[in-house]
Amino acid sequence: MGGLRWIQLLRVERPRWVQAACYLASVGLLLGLWQYVGSDFGVLFAPLTTTLQELVTLTANGTIGPAMAVSGQIYVLTLGIDLVAGVGVGLALARLRWFAASFEPYVFILYAAPTVALVPVAFAVFGFGVTAQVVIAVLISVFTIVFSVAEGARSIPRIYLDVAATYGSTEAQLWRDVILPYVMPFLMTGVRQAIPMALVGTLVAEFFLAANGVSGLLIEGVTEFQAAKVLAVTVLVSALAIVLVGVGELVERLLVPWRHTIDG
Amino acid sequence: MATHNRRLTLARAVDGLPSIGRRALWPVVTGLALVVVWEVGARARLPAYVARPSGIVAAFPSVVTTPLFWADALSTCSAIVEGVVVGTFVGAVLGLVMGRVREVGWLLAPLVRSLYSMPLIALVPIMVLWMGYTQTARLVAIVVAVLLPVAVSTSDGARLLSPDFLDVGKVFRARPHQVWFGIALPAALPQLLAGVDIGIGRAFTNGVAVEVLASVTGLGYQLFDEAQSLRDAVSFVYVIALAVFAIAARTGVRMLSRRLAPWYRPREPTAPGRLRREPAQVVGA
Repeated sequence: MGGLRWIQLLRVERPRWVQAACYLASVGLLLGLWQYVGSDFGVLFAPLTTTLQELVTLTANGTIGPAMAVSGQIYVLTLGIDLVAGVGVGLALARLRWFAASFEPYVFILYAAPTVALVPVAFAVFGFGVTAQVVIAVLISVFTIVFSVAEGARSIPRIYLDVAATYGSTEAQLWRDVILPYVMPFLMTGVRQAIPMALVGTLVAEFFLAANGVSGLLIEGVTEFQAAKVLAVTVLVSALAIVLVGVGELVERLLVPWRHTIDG
Repeated sequence: MATHNRRLTLARAVDGLPSIGRRALWPVVTGLALVVVWEVGARARLPAYVARPSGIVAAFPSVVTTPLFWADALSTCSAIVEGVVVGTFVGAVLGLVMGRVREVGWLLAPLVRSLYSMPLIALVPIMVLWMGYTQTARLVAIVVAVLLPVAVSTSDGARLLSPDFLDVGKVFRARPHQVWFGIALPAALPQLLAGVDIGIGRAFTNGVAVEVLASVTGLGYQLFDEAQSLRDAVSFVYVIALAVFAIAARTGVRMLSRRLAPWYRPREPTAPGRLRREPAQVVGA
């Protein structure tokens, strides 16, 4: 019985500040550990303070800015194409029978196969430029939107379509007033996931095609054995990724406030 | 109208086929069309070294009969299998603890979740820096790629399990280890397997990334090496090999999930077979 009461004690709803304290403690623990381990690890690791100094230096001497601009260009192009292509292919998969019947297996193969392996193909066809990088980045990040939109468009209840048909709506009205609004939350779920995935795609494309942006700095750091530089850029990218995940959630919450709880 | 009728006749003719033939017909036709477009397009517009179907078919037997190919395949696949097993085990234990012990969840969730949503490829350079240009770096990169999604989704599954299950456990006086491994683990199993599915996809990307960046022998390294020597047809055989291995592994995990947890329907990236089967309706008709 005593054991049971102890368990119940654990299950008691804790105030928010305990939760917040746990979060802070975990971040603090990590940073402290980093500083401690980094101080006497030799050339392959750098303590937190050195890393942050390096980040400031890299920003001040104009290394980070241009690299971010290069990567940013790929990122923005990728996300834009993801949106257009993802919505187009997703709707087509769901509402055009012939398209789904003939292309669905190939869409799935492209999704499940390791996209990195297609880098040489993209290079052979498009060369070393931004085009090839964006193609690879899109192939990595577009499928969350495709599958989400397709699932949304497939799950429109029959009765909505029947009502629209009863009231004699035209094809265009049907799309504008029924299908697109219904698909919108599904689209935003896909977009929320695509926002960080496009960053993954950007980095992969840079690593393998032309290491010119942020990834270029990472590879430079590794080949020159500059641990502080590698860590500084990694921290920057991680912070960026976390911010982007937050932006994705915010966008979804702002545009479809009625449905941010349905999936996790 | 004429085209409409013709399409109807075609549809009826297709419907007359046995079901497997009917389902395979359209993809096969499309596949052949894509191959023809690729062949003709590459011949017409692209330089000679770019891979085209005829070249790939010609290169295929000579590549898959070399011992090098099988040595590379063995090297990459055994690293992936080893990494997936270790990553799944560690990730599942971590996820269970994070999901069932709330304080541990609060402490670790921010770290694990932010690592999970981070582009793991950005960590590959550090791993190479620390572990050198070795197979260990590749293994660790694969383990991390599998561990994080497994931990995150297992902890979700273990945390959100139905209170009814726990009540039944309480009524039958289940011991803590029985609650953990008899109730929480099976209940979280489908999420765990969904995590493994995502993890395998990332494992291939990370494995290839380390092979290329750190010159570790394997399918990925050889793939890029052949492409750099402008033997794109040979390189594409390696692309096919990697894709076949990755898709086979993921399909295996999905089948396992369907066998072990038939009630579970994942919401996101779905295999074609799992999407709603009713035909897309002709809207407004």
